[in-house]
Amino acid sequence: MTDASERTSATRTPPLPDEAAVIARAAGGDRTAFAQLMEHYQSACYGLAWRLLSDADQAADATQDAFMHAYRAIGSYRGGIFRSWLLRITANASYDILRRQQRRPSSPLPDPEEGAPELPDPGAVNPVAEATKSELYRHLEVALRRLPADQRTAVVLCDVYGMDYNEVAAMTQSALGTVKSRIHRGRLRLRELMAEHRELFTG
Amino acid sequence: MLIPNHPDDERLSALASLDDDATTDAALASHVSTCVRCTETLTELGALRASLAELPDVAPSRPLRLLPPVADAPAAVGGGGWIRRLFAPAMTAGAALAIVGVIGTAGPAFQGMASSGGDSALEAAGGEDAASSFAQVLRSSAAEQEPATDGGAPAYGEESPESTDGQSRPLARESVGASIDQFAAGDDDDGERTALPAERSPWPMVLFTGVALMVGAALLRWILVPRAG
Repeated sequence: MTDASERTSATRTPPLPDEAAVIARAAGGDRTAFAQLMEHYQSACYGLAWRLLSDADQAADATQDAFMHAYRAIGSYRGGIFRSWLLRITANASYDILRRQQRRPSSPLPDPEEGAPELPDPGAVNPVAEATKSELYRHLEVALRRLPADQRTAVVLCDVYGMDYNEVAAMTQSALGTVKSRIHRGRLRLRELMAEHRELFTG
Repeated sequence: MLIPNHPDDERLSALASLDDDATTDAALASHVSTCVRCTETLTELGALRASLAELPDVAPSRPLRLLPPVADAPAAVGGGGWIRRLFAPAMTAGAALAIVGVIGTAGPAFQGMASSGGDSALEAAGGEDAASSFAQVLRSSAAEQEPATDGGAPAYGEESPESTDGQSRPLARESVGASIDQFAAGDDDDGERTALPAERSPWPMVLFTGVALMVGAALLRWILVPRAG
């Protein structure tokens, strides 16, 4: 398994140019530096929360909770890739909301076709290829929202954000075997859901 | 070539994520290398994983608050935590002293209220103390003059050689002594209340020290601990 941070995509937020210095200032109590970090990574955190929760408002709440938690914890940040550290906090905050939501299953499940945010344009170097990519991403997001919550959580954390099995197991408080099974079943279900858009993968 | 007895698709998924148990499975590798269907599944799963890993970040649906309110701000790392920890015991000790001082100061007042049955606390505590102190002063001045009765100048209340009135001065001395005792005891005849205290009560000083300690610690903390914002 590769770490999420090692797999950088053109559509993912890159680190700040002087990130180490900004983190040091934030850890020293500089609120402006902390705000700069959160502003930079808010799309990454919100994206994770939105994919786990499938609800824009709840995703915003989870991201907000994650920022507050990060603010309290940044003094104890001990190096490593900041984006991964922040995403782990966001995943925990989102999963807390997800657990509470599962205890109160009265709220109806959102329509997977609705509520999907406008994804950023991957770039306009090759307009046709990029349009195909955008289309692929849109269908993938809809397919992810059709997965059962436990499979979606495992696939999002592992395949979208590159967390390893142990991290996912710890975060979801599940056995390692259960996590692996959820990931594989979720991935196979996604493949079925994407069957009619198979040509987009090669586009 | 289509081979029967395909491996479970979850095994192919494990192979797509390069799980150790799948990559070291020789039978699985051998099957996939010769099976079109499984090779196709494996390729699709690989492409799916790659696409999932590229999903872009998403802009928040509404503006997010990036910082908590100032009141929730944590102490700067290494910048005020130890100072806070230093002042906490001082504040606690001050509070404890102040409480002990209040109890010690108020205790006799409550006792006095209970025994006098209606006197105010101030009369019971302060009034009695003042009377006792005054009596002590008078007694000590009288005691200083007593050795003079052995010889020398006649003391107050002692019959002087020139005096012809043999009773007037001793009577005067007795009356003064009685009035001192009466003043010290108040209007009661209670013998215990005539006993003079050995020293001043320490409780007001304890109370003062406690309050001073608390105020001082709070002031120093306000000056020394850096504030967020």
